[in-house]
Amino acid sequence: MQVAPLPQSDVSLAIQTIDLSKAYGGLQAVDRLQLAIPAGQFFGLLGPNGSGKTTTIHMLTTLARPTAGQASVAGHDVLRESVAVRREVGLVFQESALDRTLTVDENLRFAGMLRNLSRATIRQRSDELLELFNLRERRHAKVATLSGGMRRALDIARGVLHRPRVLFLDEPTLGLDVPSRRGIWRFIERLRREEVMTVFLTTHYLEEAEACDQVAFLTSGRIIGAGTPESLVRRFGPYVLEIDGTDMDAVSGLLSPRLGPCLKEGATASFRVPDEQFSFAELQAELNDSVQAVRWRRPNLNDVFLWINDPTLSAGFEI
Amino acid sequence: MTWRPVWALIERELMRMVRQRGRLVSALVRPLIWLLVIGAGFGTLLGDAASGGYQRFLSPGLLGMVMLFAAMLVSLSVVYDKEFGIMRLLIISPLPHYWVVIAKTVSGMVVAVVQAAAFAVLLALMGYIGGAVSLPLLVLGLVATALACASLGMLIAVWSSTLDNFAVVMNFVIFPVFFLSGALYPVQQLPDILKIVAAINPFTYGVDLLKHALVSGLAPPLGPDFTIAIDITVLLGFAVLAVFVACLRFSHESAAGLLDFLRG
Repeated sequence: MQVAPLPQSDVSLAIQTIDLSKAYGGLQAVDRLQLAIPAGQFFGLLGPNGSGKTTTIHMLTTLARPTAGQASVAGHDVLRESVAVRREVGLVFQESALDRTLTVDENLRFAGMLRNLSRATIRQRSDELLELFNLRERRHAKVATLSGGMRRALDIARGVLHRPRVLFLDEPTLGLDVPSRRGIWRFIERLRREEVMTVFLTTHYLEEAEACDQVAFLTSGRIIGAGTPESLVRRFGPYVLEIDGTDMDAVSGLLSPRLGPCLKEGATASFRVPDEQFSFAELQAELNDSVQAVRWRRPNLNDVFLWINDPTLSAGFEI
Repeated sequence: MTWRPVWALIERELMRMVRQRGRLVSALVRPLIWLLVIGAGFGTLLGDAASGGYQRFLSPGLLGMVMLFAAMLVSLSVVYDKEFGIMRLLIISPLPHYWVVIAKTVSGMVVAVVQAAAFAVLLALMGYIGGAVSLPLLVLGLVATALACASLGMLIAVWSSTLDNFAVVMNFVIFPVFFLSGALYPVQQLPDILKIVAAINPFTYGVDLLKHALVSGLAPPLGPDFTIAIDITVLLGFAVLAVFVACLRFSHESAAGLLDFLRG
């Protein structure tokens, strides 16, 4: 995908990086990252733990210094104009960063004052956001008494209190149970409907990124594929075929000539089915008793990521 | 430069101080024990129990003690903030990083002054402060000493990454700083080595300034040991140096920014 570097003065880009890199000792955490994210976009940087997502966010929000390359956020250079960058961004950290000794309201007021908002503005924004995030009744409760999901919601509310032009969400649903994760996503959707801003999301729950306008896959500090979630999934193919069995070699020997290489995970082999007209009924009859289960389903971003992340598999299709 | 973010930090520390009532009570009870127990004991030893001269001599040192502990507790909150991620909220706010160090120092100073003022009222009510007291000098002494204590606390806090770490440092700092100053005994009468250590200890000058305010009328050697000008110079000089070094340590951005700031 490699986006060609655009001129530095392109102000329509909310985030732009050119060869952005960060090395920790001998470890290349982020390797020549090229990003060009237009204003207003919902961008997802996806990848496993340790792939460099958080380091990228830290560089873009001036918390970490790049070892090479350039980056600008909201038109400001992250190195030369760090205070200006911080003025324009909101950041929701991976781990909750709330003051547990303070109440919900006090946490928001503290954050607002740090950003030099007037008390009246803070009060008005807090009212709006607590309403949006269903925290109104808990506004005078100590943060220590909130559930994990509520704390996350408050973290996000605090991150957008000052109406940032670019909001960074670093694994916003990490460590939450499924209902809370759904809740957080509903909040983020609502927030995106009500506020115009660029959102830069990182997550390793890839299925959560399907609402993004654009995603990029990051592995070992490098982008290995990018595009809209739909186009990535479309280019992957119409179906994923999963076969459970004991003799995987026999299965791949039988099907690989027709479907290409397979992804083996435990007792399951997955094949990419590029043909919309593929006859699963025939296949089922053919395999019949030799395997334990045959399933087919529509692919999702997880499949795309698993396949392009493996060089022996990604040869079959281009991202 | 805007003061609202600084006020945010001060307000938070004051809120914390008021909420943790145990902390506030112990901050006032600790020096009272020194005053009533140690003060009375040594006073008897010195043969001036009846006049209470030694206890009056102790009051500047105990005011200093209140501020030393208060400032250390605020700098403890820096370490707490680091552990609980609130420090990241501070460094992601659109403040230059040196401003975070300065704001934290100022909030430590304010909390220390508030607690010391409360203790001073207590001392006055109990009759240990009285006679020729210079109120402007007292205010100056409280502010300058609190500033020096808060800067010292900040210097320790930026080097401590965990709360445990900080607790160890506290023990190795608070007590030597307190004992090796003029708080309990006149500096002039210390043995030479201790006299040198006391002269290096910035806290000595804070206590001395408070002695100017409160006990300048006491007969030597119980009165102040240095001049007011020396006291203020040392306290402010130490505070500037300590905050600068804390900035250097706090972040690369902070030190460079502070230099630009100082250059105007």
